[in-house]
Amino acid sequence: MAWARALTFVELELRRLRHDPTEVFMRAVQPILWIGVFGTVMSRVRAIPTGSVDYLTFITPGVLMQSTSFIAMAYGIMLVWERESGILKRVLTLPVSKFTITLGRSLAGAARALTQLFIILLIALPLGAKLDVSPPHLLLAVLVVFTGSMGLTALSILMAVFMKTRERFMGILQAITMPLFFASNAIYPIELMPAPLQAFSRVNPLTYIIQALRDALIYGDYADCLANLAVTAAFSFALAAAASAVLEKIIE
Amino acid sequence: MRDGVCVRVRSLVKVYAGTVRAVDGVSTEVLDGEIRAFLGPNGAGKTTLMRVLTTQLKPTAGDAWVMGYHVVLEAAKVRGVIGYVPQEFSVWNDLTGYENLLIYAKLYGVPSDERRRVIEEALEFMGLSEAANRLVRTYSGGMIRRLELAAALMVRPKVLFLDEPTIGLDPRARSLVWSRVLEYREEYGTTVVFNTHYMDEAERYAERVTVMNRGRVIAEGSPGELMKLVGEGVVLQIRVNGDAHAALNALSGLEGVVVVSSENPLKVKLADAQQGIARVLGALLARGVGVEEVVVRNPSLEDVFLKLTGMTIEEAEALGYREAAWVRRAIRRGG
Ligand SMILES: Nc1ncnc2c1ncn2[C@@H]1O[C@H](COP(=O)(O)OP(=O)(O)OP(=O)(O)O)[C@@H](O)[C@H]1O
Ligand SMILES: [Mg+2]
Repeated sequence: MAWARALTFVELELRRLRHDPTEVFMRAVQPILWIGVFGTVMSRVRAIPTGSVDYLTFITPGVLMQSTSFIAMAYGIMLVWERESGILKRVLTLPVSKFTITLGRSLAGAARALTQLFIILLIALPLGAKLDVSPPHLLLAVLVVFTGSMGLTALSILMAVFMKTRERFMGILQAITMPLFFASNAIYPIELMPAPLQAFSRVNPLTYIIQALRDALIYGDYADCLANLAVTAAFSFALAAAASAVLEKIIE
Repeated sequence: MRDGVCVRVRSLVKVYAGTVRAVDGVSTEVLDGEIRAFLGPNGAGKTTLMRVLTTQLKPTAGDAWVMGYHVVLEAAKVRGVIGYVPQEFSVWNDLTGYENLLIYAKLYGVPSDERRRVIEEALEFMGLSEAANRLVRTYSGGMIRRLELAAALMVRPKVLFLDEPTIGLDPRARSLVWSRVLEYREEYGTTVVFNTHYMDEAERYAERVTVMNRGRVIAEGSPGELMKLVGEGVVLQIRVNGDAHAALNALSGLEGVVVVSSENPLKVKLADAQQGIARVLGALLARGVGVEEVVVRNPSLEDVFLKLTGMTIEEAEALGYREAAWVRRAIRRGG
């Protein structure tokens, strides 16, 4: 029952996208630049050692998570808007628990972000990224992107609860998305970073999500993939729990 | 037990951010099946009170119960028996009307085999069947309000909380909204609690009215009872030609005549209509004051508010805005 209600928020999101899918296509632009331009050039100059795989292949999961994490973390802007209208006031007086609402909206953010997985595969594969997209690998990748984006959406909900206005929300969003991206293993192996940055990248959830994604799509390392997925899931549920504990404050 | 009391409020206080006393010791009881208006100017605390009753805000002090459930201790149970339409719009405008109801029906847990019927009935009842598959973005204000009502009524709540249900609507849209609410209430006996700052709306639709100002209840009763506060008699509304001062001078000291508003048009309360009207017009003509228009009406809640606060509702609002602006400045200064 609670799950059915949580999934209603996913349905809400999908119905919205169906009415206006332009944003799905707009979001393809940045990854095309990252993979098509940055990836191809860096691949050719071989400036960054990425072991047995070529650079273009290496950064595809990184770019994928960069753009999905941005979509997930921007989800809160919707809550800020719903706070200004009466929607959140109303939703919070429905006979639905705070956790169900938070979980549902986090899943909704994840569903929105997941569309990007397919778009990026459609960009990267023709450009020559050597990714294994056979059903079990693809399924694992879907699971990883979904679980990770859910946690990042929960983080975004937390940000919306405390920031409350559009301007402040956009401010903090910009302040944290870039550092999260650069202080992760997205576009270079973490061994290449200075020590303090390495330490930070090890508590950066993006690092675990991207590692799990590489395991699934590039290395085929199931054990390491599941280990990283477990860390991702723990982090996602912790953030969802934290967000649901304070959710009510958003309408104060 | 409840003893036929649907909403019970005891010495309720809500202070925002440690400074703004939005609700300042309100007590009242709404009976089962009653239609109750909370009437007051902007900033009176109506919305805050309703938000406490609908479990959105925790009171700073005092208690409240809805259908016998405590709004803080049994919030989940309260949510199961109420319908609520907030002052601001509360539907997704990038979905269709039908989809909005579908999402709300699922969140309310309406069983899947009943959903379609429940939604279609609600749309039909609110006169929205034709527009059901259009995006809400294309709806008029009145249609949006009716859609929001449909979402609230769909699940047959025991108590309906409506915060300024007709704010910003034109008179036709207002009366359409009200006719739907009244018909629904007639059929299901739902208790209806609404906020308004339209005097005429409280007077016409509410069985009892709670008049609020600055977070407090300043009067409560049926519209008829409240009218008695201003006494028997009639109110004359006189539009004079030129100087209102001359007119005021002419009227001062006339027996049985009380000036309630000295702006043009003047409002004058008469104890006795028959003699009073002649006396007032006589005095004005004797001083050479030109009279453009005279309206005779029964006293309204507006006069009650005037009598209780010494201000018209518009004046109270203007004052409220000044105070709000002052408070904002003080907060910005950090004081
Ligand atoms: N979330 C909030 N935080 C701080 N102060 C608030 C908040 N909401 C309302 N107030 C203040 O509390 C007071 C009462 O506001 P409230 O909205 O309850 O009045 P109202 O009677 O509903 O007025 P209106 O007719 O404008 O809707 C006002 O001074 C308002 O500025
Ligand atoms: Mg209000």
